[in-house]
Amino acid sequence: MTPDGPIKLVSQLLDLPLLDSEGKYCGIVDDVELRGRPGQDVQLRALIVGPSAYKGRLPGWCMWLVKKVAGARETRVSMEDVRTISSVVHLKRPGPELGLNKSENAARRWLPNKGAL
Amino acid sequence: MRIFLLSVLLLSACSKGPNADLQYIKQARSIAAEWALVNEQAELGKLTPTYVESLHRWLRDDLQTAISSLSEPNSPYGDQMKALLAEPPDTAAFALRARAESLKQIEDGLESA
Amino acid sequence: MNPLELTLGIMTAVGGFVDISELVFAAKAGSKFGYALIWVFALATLGIIIFSEMSGRVAAVAKQPVFNLMRHRLGLKLGLLTLAASIVSNLITCAAEIGGVSLILNYLTGAPYVLMAIGMTAVFVTSIWVLPFQWIERVYGLLGLFMIVFAAALVAIRPPWNQIGGGFVPQVPAGLTNKELLTFGYFTVAIISAVMFPYEVYFYSSGGIEEGWGPKDMLTNRLTSVLGMALGSLLAISILASSAQLFGPVNVDPEIPGSAALEAAIPFGKWGLILALLGMLFAVAGAAVETCMANAYSISQFFGWVWGRHKKPWEAPRFTITWIILFLLALAIVLTGVDVMMLVEFAVLFSILVLPLTYLPLLVLAGDKTYMREYANGPIAKVLGWLYFAIITGAAIAAVPLFVLTSGGNG
Repeated sequence: MTPDGPIKLVSQLLDLPLLDSEGKYCGIVDDVELRGRPGQDVQLRALIVGPSAYKGRLPGWCMWLVKKVAGARETRVSMEDVRTISSVVHLKRPGPELGLNKSENAARRWLPNKGAL
Repeated sequence: MRIFLLSVLLLSACSKGPNADLQYIKQARSIAAEWALVNEQAELGKLTPTYVESLHRWLRDDLQTAISSLSEPNSPYGDQMKALLAEPPDTAAFALRARAESLKQIEDGLESA
Repeated sequence: MNPLELTLGIMTAVGGFVDISELVFAAKAGSKFGYALIWVFALATLGIIIFSEMSGRVAAVAKQPVFNLMRHRLGLKLGLLTLAASIVSNLITCAAEIGGVSLILNYLTGAPYVLMAIGMTAVFVTSIWVLPFQWIERVYGLLGLFMIVFAAALVAIRPPWNQIGGGFVPQVPAGLTNKELLTFGYFTVAIISAVMFPYEVYFYSSGGIEEGWGPKDMLTNRLTSVLGMALGSLLAISILASSAQLFGPVNVDPEIPGSAALEAAIPFGKWGLILALLGMLFAVAGAAVETCMANAYSISQFFGWVWGRHKKPWEAPRFTITWIILFLLALAIVLTGVDVMMLVEFAVLFSILVLPLTYLPLLVLAGDKTYMREYANGPIAKVLGWLYFAIITGAAIAAVPLFVLTSGGNG
């Protein structure tokens, strides 16, 4: 489905993997951002990616552990950058342009670029 | 369910005497029988010397561990297990099988009690 | 469908079926209960065939491996719990495999156990770094075919084939004491766990993605799962049957993994022994690689990292660092000196507890027409899938009490 079609947030969007325009995995839909008010239309504005988004979904003691291990970062991906949603969320642009996969780039510095067939 | 499991765990941990040592007697019996089989096959030229030496070492290590785990090491079965450990590695298969058989008799006696 | 590729895939599955847990439990089951537990191996093999085929199908059609979909289906909390449990289970299993490989090298060469553990971990890390995915799978899987010597050894000792055939009929031996019945129950649960280890499904489904499977590969998936696992299972059953014939009558209840090699030495002498040890070495080594990679796949897929050995290691850096760290952690467990047989017992115990959580999302997903379209579970797959889910859930509930009451099957 496309972002402007009907969608069930929990069963069809939350916890789906994200694939950028180059076909690379760049996170999971950890939370969503809605805009609206009670009594008015509610709009899905953005997808939230990152360990900080686990707050409210995990118990407090778990969040302490998550922060220690993974940090407190969070990236907001606007729904305008989403192309389609199926078994994954396909994005319109490369992950780094959207602020995703920063840890991937940091981890790359630890590894040599040779020796693999 | 939690209370049941806890009780079972505690009971297992606290038991002493021949019944608690039964698993180690079985282990020692099996080690004696395995050792006998290895020596018998080595005698027939079917095993490499490295394999035989290695198995001797690991079997005797396991036997030592079993003896150390006994709640009554100075019992008749404890003495039998120590006598087994004292045997040289290349003991004749029939002698080892005799030791396995006498441990089996103790094992069967405890199981039927 | 390329016949050569298919044949290689099946042979890889055959050579890679047996790991240290199956080796240990097959030998012990045969010596303790004769042929009476053959049907449990057959039952568990049918289970792993069903779930492997499902996971391969999900990978090929939904283009998603098990753990991606697991988080989506179970949610964050239950998904994290499943991930944590499967990390622990796979880590202990990997440690057992590394310990097993080190023992086997000690039997073969006399080289010190600790040195072999460190050396082999370095070999595993190097081989995964250097080799592309297909080579990793095939090198260990095809070399594991030395295990065929166990099947040949069984034929050579002229066992009672009618009794072996009778072992395929579900049974509980008559005349067992209560304690023996409990031990039989424990072995039933342990064999189901050892054959249906969760890492096998994670590795198989991720491997399908690594190899770029699509709907055109349905037949390859089905044939590899069915033939590969069934033939591999026959190797494990050969070990059990030889143990029943050779060890049971002389009161040997194999205390160390190396004793299994006697089954090939007795009929074939030194060459049989060496081939058996080589087969065990490569089969267990392959399992060490699979368990570690399965863990790395699970973690990477759960958090949405770039993953896969179809990429160069530096192109999937978090995935690469993860599997290296996991190998080092498994090695650390081995270097504490804990007995390999004890690691095997705990690996089997933890795995059966994780199995229901592993297979439930897969079962639901494989039946979901939204993802699977015309490839969703048919009536046979549905019935068998849910039947096996009930079996493994029952086994998971019984596992801990049986382990405690039978002192880990040692009665």
